[in-house]
Amino acid sequence: MAKQTVTVGSSVGLHARPAAVIATAAGAYDEEILLSIDGEDPVEATSALMIMTLGADFGMSVDVESENADAVAEIAALIAKDLDS
Amino acid sequence: MLKMFKKKGEQIFSPAEGTVMALADVPDPVFASGAVGAGFAVEPSEGSFRSPVDGELILVAKTLHAFAVRTDAGAEILVHIGMDTVKLKGQGFTGHRVKGDRVQKGDLIISCDLAQMSALVPSMVTPVLLTNGTAFAIAETEIGADNSAPVLTVRKK
Repeated sequence: MAKQTVTVGSSVGLHARPAAVIATAAGAYDEEILLSIDGEDPVEATSALMIMTLGADFGMSVDVESENADAVAEIAALIAKDLDS
Repeated sequence: MLKMFKKKGEQIFSPAEGTVMALADVPDPVFASGAVGAGFAVEPSEGSFRSPVDGELILVAKTLHAFAVRTDAGAEILVHIGMDTVKLKGQGFTGHRVKGDRVQKGDLIISCDLAQMSALVPSMVTPVLLTNGTAFAIAETEIGADNSAPVLTVRKK
């Protein structure tokens, strides 16, 4: 299981637009990709809505986990970027 | 009989009084393209946003600009109030229910002063989206529906 912890780079947090971008990218992988905050219940990165339920604000740390290390790297990089500009 | 019941699906109503429009006409490419989900939008004429369906309230954004309901069959319906409203950080919105609540169609979830809000954001057009489109499909869409008629019928794939 690959795991990476990243800081949210989108100024509005992981809301509609950033969440949609991440969910679309996650959907390209067959392996499950999970996101979580502070060890709370993880959500699937393929659902924009479930990403929004995390309530991840700008500057918060998000854990990204998957069997696929490439998927973790790509999703972590997206979370770290400002996707709302 | 069972087949007929299955075919019926679940009906999704407009969350606000106003003009129901096609998602493609939303003035934001991310929503208009269907990237967040498929569905419709409403140009609200009044600032009361209600549950579009019976189910469980699975999301009330901290910024109160969006909420989502999971129907009894499991379809996830997101109501995103206005465009760029996340940037208001909750200013002007009042939340009436909390995440985890069981809600009925028509229950008031979030309210605002529509005229006041309209001045602060590019648009108050509110997309209503099926966000778990891998498990559910939209069977019917009635864009011209008046506010008392269902706009979408969703069915498990």
